[in-house]
Amino acid sequence: MSFITSRRSLARLGLGAGALLAAPRLTRAQAAFPERMIEVVTHAGVGGGTDITARMMMVQAAGEFKQELVVVNRTAGSGAQALQYLASKPADGHTIILVTQTHLLTQIRNRNVPQFADLVPLVRATDDPQLVLVRRDSPFRTAADLVAAGKQRSLRFGGTHVGGVDHIAIFSFGRAAGLQQPTLVPFRGGGEIVINLVGGNTDSALVNPAEAESQLRSGELRPLLALSEKRLPGFPDLPTAKESGIDCVASTVRGFCVLKGTPEDRVARLEQGLVRAMSGPIFKTYLENTGQSPDSVVGRAEWGAQLQAFHESGREALQALGLLR
Amino acid sequence: MEGFLGGLAILVDPWVMLMVFLGTVLGIFVGALPGISGSTTIALMLPMTIAMGPIPAICFLGAIYCAANFGGSITAIMVNAPGDPSASATALEGYKMAEKGQAGLALGMSAVSSAIGGIFSIFVLIIAAPLLARAAYSFGPPEYFALAVFGLSMCAAIGGDSAVKNLIAAALGVLLATIGMDLTTGTERFAFGIDELADGIKFVPVLIGLFAVGEMLDQVVRRAEKAKIIAMDAARVPGMAEFRKCNRSIWLGSVIGTFIGALPALGATTAALIGYNETRRWSKHKEEFGKGSIEGVAGPEAANNAAVGGSMVPTLALGIPGSATTAIILAGLIVQGVRPGPHLFTEQPTLLYAVFASMLAANLFYLGLGLYMAKFFARISLVPPAILWPSVFVLSIIGAYGPDQSMGDVVIMLIAGVVGFLFRRTGFSPAPLIMGLVLGGKMEETLKQSLIIFGDDVSLFATRPIAMTLLAITAVGLLWPLFSRLWRLRVAPR
Repeated sequence: MSFITSRRSLARLGLGAGALLAAPRLTRAQAAFPERMIEVVTHAGVGGGTDITARMMMVQAAGEFKQELVVVNRTAGSGAQALQYLASKPADGHTIILVTQTHLLTQIRNRNVPQFADLVPLVRATDDPQLVLVRRDSPFRTAADLVAAGKQRSLRFGGTHVGGVDHIAIFSFGRAAGLQQPTLVPFRGGGEIVINLVGGNTDSALVNPAEAESQLRSGELRPLLALSEKRLPGFPDLPTAKESGIDCVASTVRGFCVLKGTPEDRVARLEQGLVRAMSGPIFKTYLENTGQSPDSVVGRAEWGAQLQAFHESGREALQALGLLR
Repeated sequence: MEGFLGGLAILVDPWVMLMVFLGTVLGIFVGALPGISGSTTIALMLPMTIAMGPIPAICFLGAIYCAANFGGSITAIMVNAPGDPSASATALEGYKMAEKGQAGLALGMSAVSSAIGGIFSIFVLIIAAPLLARAAYSFGPPEYFALAVFGLSMCAAIGGDSAVKNLIAAALGVLLATIGMDLTTGTERFAFGIDELADGIKFVPVLIGLFAVGEMLDQVVRRAEKAKIIAMDAARVPGMAEFRKCNRSIWLGSVIGTFIGALPALGATTAALIGYNETRRWSKHKEEFGKGSIEGVAGPEAANNAAVGGSMVPTLALGIPGSATTAIILAGLIVQGVRPGPHLFTEQPTLLYAVFASMLAANLFYLGLGLYMAKFFARISLVPPAILWPSVFVLSIIGAYGPDQSMGDVVIMLIAGVVGFLFRRTGFSPAPLIMGLVLGGKMEETLKQSLIIFGDDVSLFATRPIAMTLLAITAVGLLWPLFSRLWRLRVAPR
């Protein structure tokens, strides 16, 4: 029985493959862009936060472009394979990549993948500022307490792996606040970071509000600072680091790029279409429900500038941490 | 109480029950196919559930999750290809049973023990979720380290011809677990610049290769031998005698599975492996293990399905997912505007109990379907090998490629297949290798995290009571045979 069903699913797979092959059919005359299915390549596995962002974008983008969109998950190598997949396709705007800060760090550390200069930013999809959190019974009542203690000893911060986005953010925060270089305790993902902060295994952590929502609500974790430009709507009483004299901004960003060499009119069409698709109610609700900034969606000027800034600060931080060969 | 009854009311809501039923059928189906896991299916179904409203949506996704975990055991037992990584422990004994012509027994026992494990964990969830969730906070890296050591301490005893061979296989597994990006240094180890290796060796291709492809190659070599299919017994489902025999394994598996599932960093695969270890340790018929022990099916199946309910504990009570699948269910809840956390239990009890009730219903549905269909599935063992194994091979390739759409994983699967074949020919077992791969990586990582937290002072492990207790139990387990021999020598000299 099972092997019969497997054959059936095989047949279906075959049909799907056929449709894929048939997709780039020859176009008559000067067809409008996009003329066929758009591929969205991401380094996230199916169901990851970044993957869900892509799928939420697609709900309304299909109508906007009058074309199907499909997610391509190329998970290996922290974005390396996703970048290589993008580079293997023609620069005609039919393949877009979902870029996060992880891609920029991978590019800095791995010269064999398409570099930052090979990408053309399109739009930002999400912008999720980070908070500096401590647990309820932490001796650090205020940001000043944390800074004072951090000058005496190296504080333990929970984050993702060494040389990752969190590590860069923690390093930059430490330097901006004049702390002794913080110790990174690396974990696999936000859930573990939050649990170990509550459990007392770390002194502090930089976390997106949504990741620690339940703990913030129950008071098990206290925010000390917001690492955003302006105060966050969900935390009107929480000072930003900048207000407190610490020049540090850190947020998790995701957005779209295409390969350099894509014709300018197509870049403009993609930018306009994606902004419109992500200004619709479905993406708005998604941003709201996941606690991300309502001003997340911005065009290529602002998105490009943000990527450029992170590209530079990331390189600098990796160099200072001795992680660049 | 009102919330509780309100939640139970969904059991008579035909629309919700239809969703749960569809979810169950879909879950069994995708669970049985290697390569399409429950988590992939839930991720793909997520956008469709947005329009359903929170309760039917969550009930639908929850049913897929419950049933997929059971479905994985079907292919594990019938063709030695675990449909889901959590079914790998089931394949160890289940396939041996099918070879003996007891496929129906194994499938039936899998359905029953899965359902008991699943239902047990749901009752624990109803009664103790907020309490159990606190345990997650007491489990930091030192505790996980101790738990991984405990799990690995059994690896010499399970599987192949001799303890030495088992240790060699386990060491190979631990070695494989070191491949890829190291969390604590940020550098790639043993990846040789190959992107596919940069994130480490994934379980699914290794499992499929070791079990299914290894078995196929073995069948090729043995094709001259006369096929020994014992058709008579194949469709028999378990009766009272078998249940009595497995009673202890099922309860042991249920308790272990619920607890390990509730720990955010460990999931159904670990639960099943430790469930298998402990089932063997406490069994009165240890000699049957490795040759098709029905207890060896019951224990891990109860454990991996209990882990489903268990992993909902941190997901619902802390907003922290207990597994890859619950991470997606959590995303589904959040997209619906439901914010998990302790307040969910006081603010939205109806929704919460509806989730529990639907999971209960899903467990009963797949119990019925599983027992009913066991007779039909069991006939797969009557399909001639010349037709069966090529199909399994194709399925294996799709299964390895599917989760990450990566040809690199297919290559890993094929290599693992050759290794699996060599293992069979030389009296090694894949079981310790898998334990090494699953638990070894966890052990190394948590040890390094612990040392960072302790400022490189190993003695600080002594300040962690849970970790020390687990390590002490491990030490007793390891030294017990030695002590008991010494004791016997002393009591009866000469």
